[in-house]
Amino acid sequence: MVLEVVASKVDREQLRDQIEAKYCDVAKKPEQGFHFHTGRPLAAMLEYPEADVNALPESTIESFAGTGNPFLLGKLHEGEAVLDIGCGAGFDTLQAAKQVGPTGHVIALDMTEAMLEKTRLGAETLGLTNIDAKLGYAEELPADDGSIDVVISNGVINLTPDKMTVMQEVYRIIKPGGRFQIADIVVQKPVDQDAKDDIDLWSG
Amino acid sequence: MSHANFTGLRWGKQVDVFSGSKHESDAKEFDTRGVTLAATKG
Repeated sequence: MVLEVVASKVDREQLRDQIEAKYCDVAKKPEQGFHFHTGRPLAAMLEYPEADVNALPESTIESFAGTGNPFLLGKLHEGEAVLDIGCGAGFDTLQAAKQVGPTGHVIALDMTEAMLEKTRLGAETLGLTNIDAKLGYAEELPADDGSIDVVISNGVINLTPDKMTVMQEVYRIIKPGGRFQIADIVVQKPVDQDAKDDIDLWSG
Repeated sequence: MSHANFTGLRWGKQVDVFSGSKHESDAKEFDTRGVTLAATKG
């Protein structure tokens, strides 16, 4: 399997605007339907345990739009420092915060304020005080060098045109021996240049 | 990931995550899959 590092001519700012608009809708109007699956049916497809999903607020579940379950590759440990790139409505963030417990903490990063509001609301609803929701981009992670035990992400890095910068940022902030544990999408056939440069295919 | 110096790359399950969605035809064109993967900073 080849994870292709795509060279594209898409304008980064235009792409960010388009993605932000799309995911603002996923946050505020999840019932409208999108070109990708969302919510409870998607969580079931991705093998999240039903009990874990049911323990989350409905407003979190309804705006879930991931591409896999990063916890299938290992649970987090009590006391760990975690950063969730593109936390969305907090579906993985809230689960991570429970797993690391009160001695751990989660930095929840997203470029969409509407999603961050849902993450904060979810944390408040569940009484979780170990989540710091921050506005920002995957290419500029808000953490010091070597300060994070585990970076998680779900269906987000595919939306960034400069994936190598994201990978280098993740490497920078993770402690030696720390883990990078993600779900995302890969393409297994060549993508022609026209498709690479089609901004609508990037943002779905 | 390996180009950024991560080691111990592990692939998890593949899921046809766009099956049944409005994006299905675009996803099929490029054989797109949802995957999980993990790696370690050595």
